[in-house]
Amino acid sequence: MQESLERDLIDTVNPITASWNFLSDTYHRLGSPREFYTISRYTTPIFGILFLTLSLIGTYFGLFVAPADYQQGDSFRILFVHVPVAWMSMFIYIVMATAGAIGLIWRIKMAFVVTICSAPIGAAFTALALLTGSIWGKPIWGTYWVWDARLTSELILLFLYFGIMAVYYAFEERKVAEKATALLSVVGVVIIPIIHYSVEWWSSLHQGATVFAEGGPKMPAEMLLPLAFMAVGFMFFYGYALFLSMQNRVLENEHKSRWVREMVIRQGKNNELVRFFLHGRLRLRGLDLLGFNIIGASRICDFS
Amino acid sequence: MPSSKVISVKDLSCTRGDNQLFDAVNFSVSGGQCLHVTGPNGCGKTSLLRLVAGINFVEHGEISWNSSDTANNPNFYSECAYIAHKEGLKNELTAIENLRYYQQLDSGTDEVALDDILDKMGILKCADLLAQQLSFGQRRRLSFARLLIADFTLWILDEPFTGIDTSGRNLIESLCVEHLQNGGLIIMTHHQSLVDSPLNQYRSELKLGRA
Amino acid sequence: MFRNTSSLIQPLVFFIIIALLFPFSLPAEGELLQRIGGGVIWVSAVLATMLSLESMFHSDYQDGTLEQMLIHPRSLPLAMLGKALAHWTATGLLLTLFSPLLCVTFNIPSEQIWVLFAGPLLGTPSLSLIGATGAALTVTLRRGGVLIAIVILPLYIPILIFGAGMLTQTAQGLEVASQLYALAAILALSITLAPFAIAGALRVTIN
Repeated sequence: MQESLERDLIDTVNPITASWNFLSDTYHRLGSPREFYTISRYTTPIFGILFLTLSLIGTYFGLFVAPADYQQGDSFRILFVHVPVAWMSMFIYIVMATAGAIGLIWRIKMAFVVTICSAPIGAAFTALALLTGSIWGKPIWGTYWVWDARLTSELILLFLYFGIMAVYYAFEERKVAEKATALLSVVGVVIIPIIHYSVEWWSSLHQGATVFAEGGPKMPAEMLLPLAFMAVGFMFFYGYALFLSMQNRVLENEHKSRWVREMVIRQGKNNELVRFFLHGRLRLRGLDLLGFNIIGASRICDFS
Repeated sequence: MPSSKVISVKDLSCTRGDNQLFDAVNFSVSGGQCLHVTGPNGCGKTSLLRLVAGINFVEHGEISWNSSDTANNPNFYSECAYIAHKEGLKNELTAIENLRYYQQLDSGTDEVALDDILDKMGILKCADLLAQQLSFGQRRRLSFARLLIADFTLWILDEPFTGIDTSGRNLIESLCVEHLQNGGLIIMTHHQSLVDSPLNQYRSELKLGRA
Repeated sequence: MFRNTSSLIQPLVFFIIIALLFPFSLPAEGELLQRIGGGVIWVSAVLATMLSLESMFHSDYQDGTLEQMLIHPRSLPLAMLGKALAHWTATGLLLTLFSPLLCVTFNIPSEQIWVLFAGPLLGTPSLSLIGATGAALTVTLRRGGVLIAIVILPLYIPILIFGAGMLTQTAQGLEVASQLYALAAILALSITLAPFAIAGALRVTIN
């Protein structure tokens, strides 16, 4: 009875089951490096375009449409960068740890790639959040650095990112490095709430939450709109940077497999590069330390 | 010891970095058999042994003990002993204390048995010396003494005859023969031929690495 | 462990020396030392614990005992819990016993000394347990010491905050129960979770 009911549900073109099937299919395809590479070649530029459009709209609204703050004047406008960037720094850590847990439990190769490629991007966002925070702090608090809860938490988060990256690069054997990194990011995600609350208790100079406060946002719509645009835009930037960086790493990890070689031969017009691929070990380590692998990746992926 | 125990390896492969050490290794060893793994240096002999013993993760392939998977299988771990270059001896403890530590881990408390084992291995006179004062050969003998403290069915031995004198080698060989006659299993690596050894009649050979 | 007494004494001596370096580097005011003394003792305890972490699994890894533990039918997390607690008795417990002595040199009022005893008593086991995870992750690396510090120190911050925070509270005449509860909660969490993380880390890195 139960089974036939389920079959009926699947047979009828239910938009929920259909989209679920699509999602699970995509998920399984993304689990294979080759399929991921094929899919991400199409999605990555879309992410890039969405990021540019949304963040440009957000910037315009943030700089020219949103009214000046009655207390902080125009200096508050850095909020449109600072707040989404700070959100992203935490969001990326969660993605990274979740992917690490998935990789460790179900032994999915691509999950480890997500973890490792997220770390430099997350670290960059965290550093940016700290930078914009202290630039904003100068006119408001009169000093670049205040030992307040959120700045401090953010700084500790940056150290966690550094620790995770350091662990990855310390191991020579890639599989060990991937698993160790995943494990550490999972351990970190357990401790992050504790760090957050301890730091919160330790000091609270910072202004209270204004967007997700009880009883709805305490912010006019003209300010909320550009903030939302910027937040979603940065989300797409993360997708864009992550996929480029993952493409790069997939090529490096799989450079001995047949599909990479065939693709390189098919696309390669530049003989130097083909020879580099077929005989030399692909080395982009120096480039991808701080998310700069985007340059290297795009050069390799798009030489056709 | 029932002779029905069997370890079988299916389609096992091992990669280190970008190098594939071996691919699609298949074998099956049952009671009274000794598998002799041979091959040039760096062909993955030790890696194979570590995979079978459960120290390294199995990425591709299956290893089963009496037709159940060996990974996280306490039945397998309690019947398998692994002796390698790293002897697992504590320098700060005396010979007999080292042995007692392993005996107590397996819930044994028989002091007389420890003396007997040390005597059998010919190192009873150094029972109260610290492990760091023992010679290399004596340490090897002490680490082999561990095989005798409990009823291990499967012995995994990585180069058992390195650094040991002729009488020691004869001793270990006779221990192995006794173990095999009792229906035990042995998987070992040794870089030299074992044709002249008393183990030869129990032996089958697995060649790793491209010829 | 008692055969190798130097490794037993090293963290303790290191702890005392680090703590006593501070008075030399600060203006000689009794009041200032009294104010920062508790924090100094906590930082020294964290550093001394961290220093001893590298050797925690090192000899076991070198002589092959760790491999034998991995393939032993007994529970690895349980063995690791024992290992971490043994580490604690040699570092954290000893440091805790000696911290009241240091309090005297910092002129910390005697009614606050119990805070510098109870705090470390609850906090240092967590330091050993969390630290053991880092030690297990880096045991196979030739130069793991700095990496342990990078990985572990950020995770030590909550313990440091609550531990040292107790002193500020008592100095202002406030209750410290909430910080003690927080340290106890962290300890409960690390006793239950850290052994599995340590065992997992060892299985991952020893390959």
